[in-house]
Amino acid sequence: MPQFFSNKRLIILLVSIIILVALIGFSMKKRESLTLPEQFLKDSAGLTQTIFYKPANTLAGFFENLAEMKQLYKENQMLKARLDEYAKLYVQYEEVKKTNETLKAQLDKEEDLTDFKVREGTVIGRSPDQWNQFIYINKGEKDGIKPKMAVISPQGFIGKVTNVSLFQSTVQLISDNDRTNRFSAIVQGEKNIFGTIEGYDAKKQALVFKKIPVDAKIKKGQKVITSGLGDVFPPNLLIGEVIDIEPDEVGLTQTAYLKPSADLYDIDHVMVLEREMPAVDESLREKEEE
Amino acid sequence: MKKVFLPFLIYLAFISESSLVQAFLPHDNSMDWQLVPRFSMVLILFVAMYVNTTYGLLYGLAFGLLTDLLYTDIIGVYLFSMAATAYITSIFSRYLFGNLIVTLLLSVVGVSILEFFVYGLNSLIGISTQMLDVFLYKRLLPTLILNGFFAILIYYPFVKQLNQIKDTLKEN
Repeated sequence: MPQFFSNKRLIILLVSIIILVALIGFSMKKRESLTLPEQFLKDSAGLTQTIFYKPANTLAGFFENLAEMKQLYKENQMLKARLDEYAKLYVQYEEVKKTNETLKAQLDKEEDLTDFKVREGTVIGRSPDQWNQFIYINKGEKDGIKPKMAVISPQGFIGKVTNVSLFQSTVQLISDNDRTNRFSAIVQGEKNIFGTIEGYDAKKQALVFKKIPVDAKIKKGQKVITSGLGDVFPPNLLIGEVIDIEPDEVGLTQTAYLKPSADLYDIDHVMVLEREMPAVDESLREKEEE
Repeated sequence: MKKVFLPFLIYLAFISESSLVQAFLPHDNSMDWQLVPRFSMVLILFVAMYVNTTYGLLYGLAFGLLTDLLYTDIIGVYLFSMAATAYITSIFSRYLFGNLIVTLLLSVVGVSILEFFVYGLNSLIGISTQMLDVFLYKRLLPTLILNGFFAILIYYPFVKQLNQIKDTLKEN
């Protein structure tokens, strides 16, 4: 049997390991925009993905329908019961909305911090190795999508846009364990309790909600929403529901586990939100400087 | 036509991975299996085994780079892992007789080498936080079964094509 590694091959291996480390180091830096060849590659792959995804999705939808047929009756019963509840809530909502409008009119307040512009997109693929939780949508720079915009599905907040090429963009889901993938959030209750969402716990199948003050009292089942601080994401987007709370390793803060309200796997259509009003008015800032 | 056939086929497999994961694979919470289709890798392993090492290495480099650019955030992980996997597998295949069972075994070994490489590198960088036992049972085992099935499925038609390609290479 010949030698597995000859000297020449050993040198090639070492050189390639050095190149590997250099490349990883280069791409670990958070880049704001993609280079031109990267954009071109992503666009052309996105095109083929779109062609591929449609028939695949129809086929998958067919099987899903067959499975759903069994539960249809039960679900129908439940939904009917919920419908009455909905009617009641709707009346309440209308009333609150009206009072809110009159109050706003009294205050002369037109723009609202919670305003945002909505763009719709269709999912064309997903990162196949499930280390990276990325999905790809068929809207890009051409449609006005920019990095760092919030992305929601009808059930709730799912992530943010990380990079954009001309015709498609990449969305990083909240379950991605990247160290820069962090969101400030609030536990809804009588008093707002702040914390940050830092990735996903695969064992518990829940989002990790860290840095909650140690004296804050949180109950299971409370809802968690985005805070809207840091003027990137709109506030009040539903993220999930608390299923477990435990003290931190050091005991200075608490960590809660959230069940995401949106299904992070079965996503078809998403909405990309752009916040309309910047947090600080630029003209005001200039005046102050003068 | 014959020259584009192989890259085109691997590219199709490569794109189908992404749609498959999004549209088909079970995301049932009760099982929490992670099935990862590595179809392009299996095809490249076949090329490395049946055509020659250089071809396997080149395809491994090309599609590794493509995977890095399109499906991940970090360049280099798949570029290195896929090329190295193709190389190691083609060296193994020199000492083994090529039939269905051996090919299946080698593709399964190849896919697990790739998974280990990627798992190791991603753990170093901090992208994956999975424990080793969870990785072995919940991810590696189901992934190997899925890709093993794929290897059996394509064995007869694909090897026939590869042998033809090898013959034309010899003639030139």
